[in-house]
Amino acid sequence: MKFLEIFRFEFAYQLRRASVWLYFALLSVIAFLFIVGNYVDDARAGDFFVNSPVIIANVMVFGSLFWLLAAASVAGEAAARDAETRMHSLMYTAPIGKAQYLGGRFLAAFVINTLLLLALPAGVLLALRFSGIEPELLGPFSPASYLSAYFFIALPNAFAGTALQFSFAALNRRTTASYLGSLLIFVTAYIVCPALFKLNPELAKLLDPLGMINLQEMTDVWTPIEKNTRLIAPEGVFLLNRLLWLGIASLTLALTGLRFDLVHHAASGWRNRLQRRTAALLAKTAVLGGSAHCNPVSIPPVARTFGFAARLCQTLAITRESFRTIAKSRGGLVLLTGVAILTAIALPLNMNHMGVPFFPRTEYVLTFLTAPLTDPHTPWIIVPLLIIYYTGELVWREREAGLSEIADAAPVSEWILILGKFTGLGLMLVVWLALLATAGMLAQASMNYRDFEIGLYLKVLFGLQLPEYLLFACLVFALHVLVNQKHLGHLAALVAYGLIAFASGLGIGHHLLVYGSAPNWSYTDMRGFGASLAPWLCFKLYWAAWAVLLAVATKLFWVRSRESGFKSRLELARRRFDDSAAGIGAAAVLLITAAGGFIFYNTNILNEYRTASEIMERRAEYERRYGQYENTPQPRIAGTDLQVEIYPDRRAADVRGAYRLVNNGASAISVVHLATSPEVDTGEVSFDRPAALSLADEELDHRIYTLAEPLAPGDSLSLNFSVHYELQGFRNGGADFSVSANGSYFKNLDWLPAVGYQTNREINDAADRRLYNLPTRPEVPPLEDAEAQGFPADGDRIAFRAVVGTGENQIAVAPGALRRTWTANDRRYFEYATDAPIRNEYAFFSAAYAVREARQNDVVIQIFHHPAHTANLERILRGAQASLDYYTRHFGPYPNGYLRFVERPGQGFGMHSDPTTIDYSEGSSRLDPGNDSRGLDFVTAVVAHEVGHQWWGGSQLTPAYVEGAPLLTESLAWYSALGVLDEQYGGEQQRRLVSFMQETYETPRTRAAAPLLRAASDWYLAYRKGPLALYALSEYIGKERVNLALRRLFEQHGAGRSPLPTSLDLYRELQAVTPDSHRSLLHDLFAANVFWELETEEAAAQQTASGEWQVTIAARARKFAVDAAGVETVLPMDDWVQVGVFAPAEDDAQPGKPLYLQTHRVVSNRQTITVTVPEKPARAGIDPEHLLIDLKTDDNVEKVKPGN
Amino acid sequence: MELHIRDVSKTYSNGVAALKNVTLTIPVGMYGLLGPNGAGKSTLMRTLATLQEPDEGSVRLGDTDLLNQKDEIRRTLGYLPQEFGVYPKASAEHLLDHFAILKGFSERRTRREIVEALLRKVNLWDVRRQKLGGYSGGMRQRFGVAVALLGDPKLMIVDEPTAGLDPSERVRFLNLLSELGEQSVVILSTHIVEDVSELCTRMAIINRGEILLETEPLAAIREIRGRIWRKVIEKSELAEIEEKNAVISTKLLAGKTVVRVRSRENPGGGFEAAEPDLEDVYFSTMMSKASVPDGQPELN
Repeated sequence: MKFLEIFRFEFAYQLRRASVWLYFALLSVIAFLFIVGNYVDDARAGDFFVNSPVIIANVMVFGSLFWLLAAASVAGEAAARDAETRMHSLMYTAPIGKAQYLGGRFLAAFVINTLLLLALPAGVLLALRFSGIEPELLGPFSPASYLSAYFFIALPNAFAGTALQFSFAALNRRTTASYLGSLLIFVTAYIVCPALFKLNPELAKLLDPLGMINLQEMTDVWTPIEKNTRLIAPEGVFLLNRLLWLGIASLTLALTGLRFDLVHHAASGWRNRLQRRTAALLAKTAVLGGSAHCNPVSIPPVARTFGFAARLCQTLAITRESFRTIAKSRGGLVLLTGVAILTAIALPLNMNHMGVPFFPRTEYVLTFLTAPLTDPHTPWIIVPLLIIYYTGELVWREREAGLSEIADAAPVSEWILILGKFTGLGLMLVVWLALLATAGMLAQASMNYRDFEIGLYLKVLFGLQLPEYLLFACLVFALHVLVNQKHLGHLAALVAYGLIAFASGLGIGHHLLVYGSAPNWSYTDMRGFGASLAPWLCFKLYWAAWAVLLAVATKLFWVRSRESGFKSRLELARRRFDDSAAGIGAAAVLLITAAGGFIFYNTNILNEYRTASEIMERRAEYERRYGQYENTPQPRIAGTDLQVEIYPDRRAADVRGAYRLVNNGASAISVVHLATSPEVDTGEVSFDRPAALSLADEELDHRIYTLAEPLAPGDSLSLNFSVHYELQGFRNGGADFSVSANGSYFKNLDWLPAVGYQTNREINDAADRRLYNLPTRPEVPPLEDAEAQGFPADGDRIAFRAVVGTGENQIAVAPGALRRTWTANDRRYFEYATDAPIRNEYAFFSAAYAVREARQNDVVIQIFHHPAHTANLERILRGAQASLDYYTRHFGPYPNGYLRFVERPGQGFGMHSDPTTIDYSEGSSRLDPGNDSRGLDFVTAVVAHEVGHQWWGGSQLTPAYVEGAPLLTESLAWYSALGVLDEQYGGEQQRRLVSFMQETYETPRTRAAAPLLRAASDWYLAYRKGPLALYALSEYIGKERVNLALRRLFEQHGAGRSPLPTSLDLYRELQAVTPDSHRSLLHDLFAANVFWELETEEAAAQQTASGEWQVTIAARARKFAVDAAGVETVLPMDDWVQVGVFAPAEDDAQPGKPLYLQTHRVVSNRQTITVTVPEKPARAGIDPEHLLIDLKTDDNVEKVKPGN
Repeated sequence: MELHIRDVSKTYSNGVAALKNVTLTIPVGMYGLLGPNGAGKSTLMRTLATLQEPDEGSVRLGDTDLLNQKDEIRRTLGYLPQEFGVYPKASAEHLLDHFAILKGFSERRTRREIVEALLRKVNLWDVRRQKLGGYSGGMRQRFGVAVALLGDPKLMIVDEPTAGLDPSERVRFLNLLSELGEQSVVILSTHIVEDVSELCTRMAIINRGEILLETEPLAAIREIRGRIWRKVIEKSELAEIEEKNAVISTKLLAGKTVVRVRSRENPGGGFEAAEPDLEDVYFSTMMSKASVPDGQPELN
């Protein structure tokens, strides 16, 4: 009864709080925005419904993150309101038990928090009903989708969350302590578990407090059909996870019940009792010692000062106090140090690329330690959250301690109060960043890396990251002061943060409109900060001026009295608006206007500013206006002659050039379409014959020239053009690094005019095409699209010549042999010319390069690299030599006398192969394959792959741009690399690369996919399944046969002539070399999306009379196909599968040597296979090398049991 | 230096008129502001402590406009609010030092002297390193006095300081206050008559936002000498006596009721002349000017 009354009273009391309703409204808005801003696009792109169970569950999970904050307020109130309002004397003395009291309060908080979570489905339903989602994206309404998500995600989350929040608040007797519970869950869910996931996915899934990681996996793995129909249900690890958190919550509550006493706080706890006892003792002596009369103590006359020095002294005193307050609080130094330690531990785990370790260079470590305020997708989201929390504590400190009246009456101006508290918070942030820098260096040191570059740490963390946080802190201070209600202040600050972080999602892209934002800065070894710093500074200055204005508002509305009514505060503010406020405010406004004006001049007048939707609209308009010319016959480029002037210091470039255009078609051409580049100014274009400019669309960058005399078939003409590149000021989107002081890099496709209508300028994404009312078309033309074969988008073969000029101390690189180099007018010139036709895709580089060189027969191999980045040069050279050798022998000759590797600025790991030139971004130079525990030489493998592109895709064999094209480029290049490793580095390297590729089986991925022959944009199909399938085939039919097929394909199509090859041509060649017995395997690997499930249930061995061992393998097999939507069809299996028996391993790392490895016919379901081996076997099983596509790789081989 | 309060009025947003045209002139010395709970004392005190804005009226301390020159006033202001808390984890010495900086003692050495002198004065020197959270009510109150005394204030506002103190603490506390009145304006608000009678040279009685009486305690007592009568009665007789006489107070004494009435002549019926005290002044003022002294909501 009493329990019920306590529950009822608390429940009713909290429901009367306006903030609870506000939280409800806010959570539904958040759910609404999730659907509209995120999941509608996902659904459009992923062929499943917006209201599918898995999306509703996702909204529940991410909504739970925000719920944590609202719920903390509810749980904190329920747990500690009595102690905080000093009602506890009345409450605790009432005849109620601890269990009734705590139980009733907890239940009330829990019920309200579960009700709050109902806001999420409510928001989803509102979004589905009112946001105008296309009806075809909506599945039928299914209550089960909502119920399952609510019961299995929301309810357990609510229980665990409320239990922790409630316990923290109850035991600390402070309502705000509940936020620590939220913080704990948040850090575990958002920082710890994702980091743990890389180490131990199962453990991360088990620990995952809100279900985020579990759900992410479901979203990744489920096929579209499953997404639409399958309900969220706890099973496997997810079930354990839910139970674990229910257990943790119950245990916490039980402990709280034990620890909590219905007594006055000062009397509970041994520490307090001790303190209290000594205090009482001392008080007694004080009372006894003092007479009833006043002590005759004279107060020394001390002059006080209120000048500048005194103000400084006051400010410092408040700073010190403020810093101490937050540093010593539970969310203070202890927490930050903990996070820093976690960071130091987690950082080395991130210092790898696909498991390949790399040198933790400071430039890269810093990218992990920093994040702009506008990016909420890093662990550092915790810093703005802490700023909000700290600021609340500081603004409310005196009032919460009941000391405000005394403090407010002290002769301290509001400026000093604000400045002191702000500086205290700033100091805390400085300490945090110092901790972070220490963590970063510790992580580096733990990886035996010693080049700390402390100066760079200081510049980046304190020069760039700190202002980011300080600006936000100004805003939070102002909000807390203006709102003047702690919980609502937190909420307002959070909403402000959300608006900042998701502004671009809401369509606000201009940094002048998003508080504190700026174009991102960047730093690389080669380029330094480059041109990214100046715009960043301008924007930050602009926002700093706003921050000052906010500080003026903070001063005017600083609460220093009992006046809390809006009108009286306004009146007070009016009176406080003195000269200093007016002066500072005016200066701030002046600066805002000046900096804002300067920025606007740069971003919107010097440069054109376009919103994301304006850019899309432009692309749509291009297609609408000029799509009609897509099939208009156009001359093809056959030769290019360029004069390129790069001015690194001015960050400008000029290109003058001539194309030789040939009419390859059957009819005369009288109209030439020219697509100019929006990034440069394209000057006048002239022809070597009379021609008229009949259309010049500067808006969409399209020109049409009419030739006075049509170009007859087989005839050619010359087209002369010039483009000028020079940056005017800066743009909102950030710096353009095409030409930089060091490390210029640009491509012909970016700047030079292109002939004909450019399909690649069209909107490709199906959902976007629908949005802009463009006809639907597949993103990649279907394999059957015969037209594409005769009409290559970039299949032109050109003769190329260029003279490239650059700064005196730089080297410029372009395709072709270096004919000569000279210096003129303090500039260095390089003349390049190709000795064989190349594809019309190339790039220019210029930097202060160091050059390393080697030869392979007649081919010169060069590496142009940043002088400090030398770690992998030998590997690259050797890899290139080995590859050239292998490919020349197996596929055909390399047509050029040189092969270049060129480093370019950037943090990525990308290598890219253009004809004769392979460029790699700086990130690749960090790779340290020598330390790879798997023993894989990844750098050599990638080099072999990229050199492979010189045959496949890059410059010789060019596939038609239809489905299956990546199979002919990426898959063949990787398969070729396997051959290089096998032949030149020993079979072990090849096996390591194969198992490296098979590691992707462990990454959760939907099984719904196209067959390899139709692989389009799926990375896994092109880069992993493709080469693995080719490898499997080579193991079945022999490598020589597969290479023979590839050689034949290359002989027919290597010259890049129409008709361009498709995956079907490859398939035909493979069929020709595959014996009938393996035709079905070939089909299953390439022409269908087939999976095998192969399992050895038991392996037993018995020694025969002759001393041999008879091994019996109980195997189980299943084969099925999955189509692109996820429909699964079980196939009858009767396939050749390897059966292997292995000797005991000599050491743990190496599998034992095979005693037996033969293919057997394996059929569906259970069967027993018996083989005889000469030695005692240790392990046995089917498909031990995982040649067939079987995602579960750990059950193929089992230990051999001794038979009876 | 005098404190001039002119026509100060304040009405809260819930319609309660906390102050109505309050006009007072307060000279140097101890000044008692006497009134029941909810009379508007704290509103007036907070207004004088620069923490609340009146709707109308002006307040001047000497030549300084208290309402508009807050910074100047705060430099010479000592304020001990009716209720205040402390940072429980800070020591008295640390927190007093902090306030000393805020009050303009910038120099470290002299600040130490001041802090020590004040802590000795309020008898907290021996417990100065103790966490304030462990202090008793009286110790905390004395700590508040130390803060208020910082900087030798010319205007001292002490709001209900003795509420909740035990008798010996109260005596010690009043002794501490009595020293202040020598050069400063000290305003002491209280609902305990003895506080005023023991300390103050001048006083005012306030109820329902209005000043009912402004006087010197001794003069006021002198004025009603010979008009106060007392009688010990049974409780049951009270109703009859109240009907016939102007009863100003009733008290219990060993189970009987002592009733005091005001009358120019002996009311007869067993009443004996009584020596008037300040309490009689207070109660008779309240009785004559206001019909219902109690039952007002507490105004804060």
